[in-house]
Amino acid sequence: MGQISFMSLIELHNITKIYRVGSQKVVALKNLSLVFERGDFAVLAGPSGSGKTTALNMIGGLDRPTSGQVLVNDLDLGKANLKRLADFRLHNIGFIFQSYNLIPVLTAAENAEFTLMLQKTPRHQRRERVLSLFADLGISGLEDRLPKDLSGGQQQRVAIARAIAANPRVILADEPTANLDSNTAEDLLSLMRQLNNSHGTTFVFSSHDDKVIRRAKRIIRLEDGLMVSDNSQNL
Amino acid sequence: MHINPLFFIPKPVLFLIFFSVLSVCKIVKDEAWALDLKALVRDVEQQYMGESSVSQTHMQVSTKNWQRNLEMQAWSLGRDFFLIRIIEPAKERDIATLKRNREVWNYLPKVDRIIKVPPSMMGGSWMGSHITNDDLVKANHIDEDYTLRLIEETELHFLIECLPKTDAAVVWGKIIYKVRKQPKVPELIAYFDESMQKVREIYFDDVQTIGERTIPLKLTVLPLDKPGEKTILFYREINYDVSLDEHFFTLRSLKQR
Amino acid sequence: MLFGLAYQNLWRNRRRTLLTMSAMVVSVSLLILALGIFSGMFKDMLASATEQYYGHLVMAKPDYHQRRDLYATLPDTILTLPTLQNPEILGRAPRLRSFGLVSWGQTSQPVELLGIQPLAEATVTSLHDQIVKGRFLEETDKNCLIIGWGLAEKLNVRPGDAVVFVTQAADGSIGNDLLTITGIFRTGDRRHDNNLVLAPLTWLQNLLVLPGRIHEVSMRIHNPMTASVLASRINAELNTEATILDWGELLPEMREVISAYDVSRMIVVIILYLATGLGILNTFFMSVMERTREFGILLAQGMRPWLIRQLVLLEAMILAIMSLIIGMFLGGLMTFYMDQVGIDLSKYITPVTYAGGTILPRLHAVFDLGNFLTPAIVLLMVSLAASYLPANRAAKLNPVVAIREE
Repeated sequence: MGQISFMSLIELHNITKIYRVGSQKVVALKNLSLVFERGDFAVLAGPSGSGKTTALNMIGGLDRPTSGQVLVNDLDLGKANLKRLADFRLHNIGFIFQSYNLIPVLTAAENAEFTLMLQKTPRHQRRERVLSLFADLGISGLEDRLPKDLSGGQQQRVAIARAIAANPRVILADEPTANLDSNTAEDLLSLMRQLNNSHGTTFVFSSHDDKVIRRAKRIIRLEDGLMVSDNSQNL
Repeated sequence: MHINPLFFIPKPVLFLIFFSVLSVCKIVKDEAWALDLKALVRDVEQQYMGESSVSQTHMQVSTKNWQRNLEMQAWSLGRDFFLIRIIEPAKERDIATLKRNREVWNYLPKVDRIIKVPPSMMGGSWMGSHITNDDLVKANHIDEDYTLRLIEETELHFLIECLPKTDAAVVWGKIIYKVRKQPKVPELIAYFDESMQKVREIYFDDVQTIGERTIPLKLTVLPLDKPGEKTILFYREINYDVSLDEHFFTLRSLKQR
Repeated sequence: MLFGLAYQNLWRNRRRTLLTMSAMVVSVSLLILALGIFSGMFKDMLASATEQYYGHLVMAKPDYHQRRDLYATLPDTILTLPTLQNPEILGRAPRLRSFGLVSWGQTSQPVELLGIQPLAEATVTSLHDQIVKGRFLEETDKNCLIIGWGLAEKLNVRPGDAVVFVTQAADGSIGNDLLTITGIFRTGDRRHDNNLVLAPLTWLQNLLVLPGRIHEVSMRIHNPMTASVLASRINAELNTEATILDWGELLPEMREVISAYDVSRMIVVIILYLATGLGILNTFFMSVMERTREFGILLAQGMRPWLIRQLVLLEAMILAIMSLIIGMFLGGLMTFYMDQVGIDLSKYITPVTYAGGTILPRLHAVFDLGNFLTPAIVLLMVSLAASYLPANRAAKLNPVVAIREE
């Protein structure tokens, strides 16, 4: 672990991100500075286009800032090459996507153990891990189903299993509940909280839904790429 | 590939070559310049060959691998008919060659058959000598197939160049005759191939007077592409204007003996 | 799992994959068939050039092959040389060669006459198998000959007729004799059918006054393709005035045919595979484009770009190997049919003689490992090459953009 920032897992320093759309420049993030610590359960809140997704992409090493510095676990993501970034994601980050994005030709279990496979975890260990995860997530028995045979909620649970299977330090979720009905969304959030509590997994997710935002320990509000507030609350 | 069959060609070779040459010589008679070379050729031919002839000839052929001597008897009538028959050696006795117009036939007594020399074989050797079947057929047609031109005259000689006519099916690119003025006999014939390379020479000597005619009795053929090889023909005896007609020169008489 | 993923991915668009696969199967199997037929034609040509006349190796005086000098002879005892007893050599036939006229009635034809020992000749050449009328020469035959079919037509002769052969003997004399035709052969090679006659060696030796002499020893060997190696090995051991030429030296055009064959084989391979390769390229580009978002997810999950590239290449390889298995089976089946049955074209075309060999009017294939390996290896290379661009494109995707893709 880094010696400098013992507690801080993710540090964003003065991040500015400018996209070019045709001849126009779009400023997605402006001088954003943030620090996340181990065990955080933070939401990036704001309307669509406020820079939530861009911020998540920065943390996940999927995108590089135009200026500023992203340090995750002491790795400067702006300076790492593609292979380094891929390895970084593999070992540190779990992603949960808005539309689940399971690989359609792989079974639920195969989807869930994909990162483990990339990490070269032996097959039986992968299987054990998936079985216990599926039990924890309440989707036991669906291991051998293909994504098309699962409901939306079930798919999102498989996606969560996939994200946490390799025990990443951070789980990034972009609008994880956007496609779910409110009951299912509620269940999902409970599940995330539960994982956060029991495993200390750091969650950073985005949402524009107040019901979801309310459930976060830390609420960071973005507007037009600028951070307008950063509040912690006890639940 | 070397095709080296024997194809007999009539013995009249001698005559043919001779006469054609002689006739050419005659061209220059009178030393008048407006010579009708063609007419003169025939004129001379007539004078030297007579209407007909009977002769006895010796032929010696020397090659790198062997030497052989043949005695032959020959008959001629005009420029189109010749018959030659081998007398010696005994092994080849009665092998005979008949030339009728432009065709050549051979008779083989051992198998008692007559064989026509096919066109593809006309360039082949006659009787293993350095004379080809073509020589037999075409020698006395020089005046028809070639354009004649006097290229040099000295005190002793005429030099005549013969170039093939454009439509003539001939094998030589050029022929040069050297003819002695007094007596009017051929001395040398040089043959050139199509690339104007000299490939063969024929020398004439031993000039004798036979009756009212003066002719060289010896003829030496030197193939320049085969150094050291030669064919020598020598007239032992020659009689002119004997009584022969075309019936003598038939396939039947070729076979007869 | 990568393999399983690759395999599963192939079947996401079943119709497109099957279509591409069938194109690959067709090109592989047609190629195998075409190459088999090429090889069959080539083998016919080589066989006609060597087995109908020259043999695989010919021992003669240096230059004899070019000059055909009547006097360039060898003693017939040369046959018993220990070096010629090499087990690779399956047959040895002594020959004396003469050029002359064969005559029947009013017709005469120039011919090449080979003096042979019938039994020995049959161990080297296949003329005895190509007799269409009468019979081949026998050891006890004296004044007999066999004659080419075209020549027999020109002379209008048939077995039993006695023809005259005339040539100049080695002593300058006129050799001539009557020979009874025992048989007529037909090889399909016009030059031989129209010009070649065979007669007993001893008879020709007498006629040419060359007793105990031969011009050449023609030999058949176990594997014709090793002829040049064997020739140089025996030449090194030979301690005589004679040298051995292999068929490649006797028929330099045939050697050129072999290299031309190799070139045209590659051209056919390239043309057929160019089309196939474009099909593969198209299929994989479409397949990669359709999966852009999925590749973005895989990249986001930490899959290295290199592994993404491998995944796509692996898909192409699996497709190629499946196609190869089916294509080679079908190609082998068709080749087998063309080998066993073939197609007779003699009603429509006549034999073509080229470079000293005769292409028979038939479609006939032979099995040759190279004709299977070449299409297989090249197809794998083509698949790799054609899928490399799509694979690269997948590997170079920007995950942010890719995931956003709908």
